[in-house]
Amino acid sequence: MIATKQLRMTVYASLLAALTAAGAYLAIPIGPVPIVLQSLFIFLSGLLLGSRWGVASVGVYLLAGALGLPVFAGGVGGIGRFAGPTGGYLLGFLPAVYVIGLITEKTRKRVVFDVFAMVCGSIIIYSCGVSWLKILTGMTLAKTMVVGMYPFILGDVLKIAAAVPIAKALRPVINP
Amino acid sequence: MNIIEIENLSHYFADGTCGLENINLTIEEGTFVVIAGQNGSGKTTLLKHLNGLLLPTTGTVRLAGVPVSENLVKARQMVGMVFQDPDSQIVGETVCDDVAFGPENLCLDRSEVKRRVYRTLKVVGLLDFEDQKPHLLSGGEKRRLAIAGILAMEPKVLVFDEPFSSLDYPGVKQVLKQIISLHRSGHTILAAAHDLEKVIAHADRLVIMKDGKVVKDETPSQLLGELEAFGIREPCASRLGMEVQSWLN
Amino acid sequence: MAELSAFNFRPGSSVLHGLDVRFKLIFLVLISFTSLKAYTVALSVLTLVLVAALMHSGLSLKSILKTFRYVSVLLAFIFIARALSTPGSVVAEFKAISITREGIYYGAMICWRLVIVILTGLSFVLTTRPSEIKAAVEWTLNPFPFIPAKRIATMMSLMVRFLPVIIDQAKETADAQRARGIENRKNPVYRLGKLGIPLMRRTFERADKLAVAMEARCYSENRTDPVLSSGIMDWIALCGVVCLCLVIISA
Repeated sequence: MIATKQLRMTVYASLLAALTAAGAYLAIPIGPVPIVLQSLFIFLSGLLLGSRWGVASVGVYLLAGALGLPVFAGGVGGIGRFAGPTGGYLLGFLPAVYVIGLITEKTRKRVVFDVFAMVCGSIIIYSCGVSWLKILTGMTLAKTMVVGMYPFILGDVLKIAAAVPIAKALRPVINP
Repeated sequence: MNIIEIENLSHYFADGTCGLENINLTIEEGTFVVIAGQNGSGKTTLLKHLNGLLLPTTGTVRLAGVPVSENLVKARQMVGMVFQDPDSQIVGETVCDDVAFGPENLCLDRSEVKRRVYRTLKVVGLLDFEDQKPHLLSGGEKRRLAIAGILAMEPKVLVFDEPFSSLDYPGVKQVLKQIISLHRSGHTILAAAHDLEKVIAHADRLVIMKDGKVVKDETPSQLLGELEAFGIREPCASRLGMEVQSWLN
Repeated sequence: MAELSAFNFRPGSSVLHGLDVRFKLIFLVLISFTSLKAYTVALSVLTLVLVAALMHSGLSLKSILKTFRYVSVLLAFIFIARALSTPGSVVAEFKAISITREGIYYGAMICWRLVIVILTGLSFVLTTRPSEIKAAVEWTLNPFPFIPAKRIATMMSLMVRFLPVIIDQAKETADAQRARGIENRKNPVYRLGKLGIPLMRRTFERADKLAVAMEARCYSENRTDPVLSSGIMDWIALCGVVCLCLVIISA
């Protein structure tokens, strides 16, 4: 196909943004807390699209959500989502995907580096999310982490473990 | 006048496999041509050369005398292509937005865009669905929307890739009616199909492809008996020795 | 897809429907920021204005309350956390935890302000067509160099267009795997991979086809501008909102 590279990346980034949005509706019911797929797709946007297009994808998703297009799960969308308790995590997606993309671009797409990139990404998401939650609720840092971080770590470890083979399977598809 | 002239066209894919081999074909304005062949015989590859989505490895494709590669935008405007899967062709969030996509790409005036959107929605009978979300439409309606999106660019030639795939009976009738009325209004129609049953009664010309080559090119009635040799099922009526009837009757 | 269409645009002919989307965006920002400075009286006024505006644009009180079903859990969480963690004069005590008067007050204020922000967002979303939102984004970003406003607008509409398609497909894939007994597999990494890989592969295939189809329709970033028009009503509304905000901030 001679669809220009730029148009292809534009469409990839848009559909990955749609996939990220869909990820909020998709959950795998395992154990007491179902694993929601959203952050898995955030990781994969970084790993597969790289820093620039990864940020474009997540940025478009957040912008559309902030303006109230129906892309957030659970009813009310719009600017209220960013002011609400989960707002910090949403904003954290943006630097996280940039860093993940940057690390994979600079390294040779080896498993170790992929995992390292995603761990960095998760740290960024949690630091944004937890700080905003702390400001909003006025709890101590330790307490905020108990509510806003510890319960989700196991899920994130599983998602990172799953993202590695997924990225490996799909890299040849988007860069033939 | 010959609207499409294909001369010695060959196409090799990046991995070296042969997609098309030495194709020569001229199509007169206003004809209804059916291109038949098994899956993988090169139908879609050939069609994608008509609007420059693929460019020839060797040979030329001319539209009204002008080589496609000379002006891709013009070629794409002149040859409208309706893809097999409407779900991956429809771009807009609403029916109206989707039809406007093509004219907007041509940088037409907003008033002209609007005019074309309403005119084409009227032609395909989707005016009442203006603000509907495309994924809520039925199969036949989606296909008609895809056609409207193409018609809004005012093409002379309409190319359909498997226009009836995964449509129910009412859907087939809707789309077939649409194609026939477009033909009547003067458009040149090319339709690729592996199953001739639904279209053959209306075609002026039947081109059979196999392994990237054109192997037969005649009027449908002359070819009906030989179809099975090329992996295409002979229409039911013809098998029973009757005359082929339109699906609309 | 009910969960997707619940808070979409609703056609109507109210004042809010008629306003220019750019002005509505300004109102959205102004009111959201003003609410941060507002206290009981001002918040009551804002709530009344917004609820009245929502009901005027065709939403019943019942469905407004219904929107808050999901948010109320989060709001309750913030309220409780605030009430427990703010130091001050104790109202009630239970072992190690104590609820303070200040905590209750600040908790209530924060939740109320969030409610205002949500109501503002809701009245924007309900009365603005997605295509208008897209046009407003294009218009706002256009003056900035290095920001491809048209591309961003196109990406937004592609995303909104394909979200339901992808959700449907994900459900289908999940169902097909369930039909072959994937629930017996307890390994979550295996299941994430088995759902993620086909889903993404099909998404990329779809993207490839879509890119070709867009190419066939002459896609270019140099395209017709969206139409936006403002009228006298917009300026009147702007004056009203600005005055309201100034009064609240200075009070």
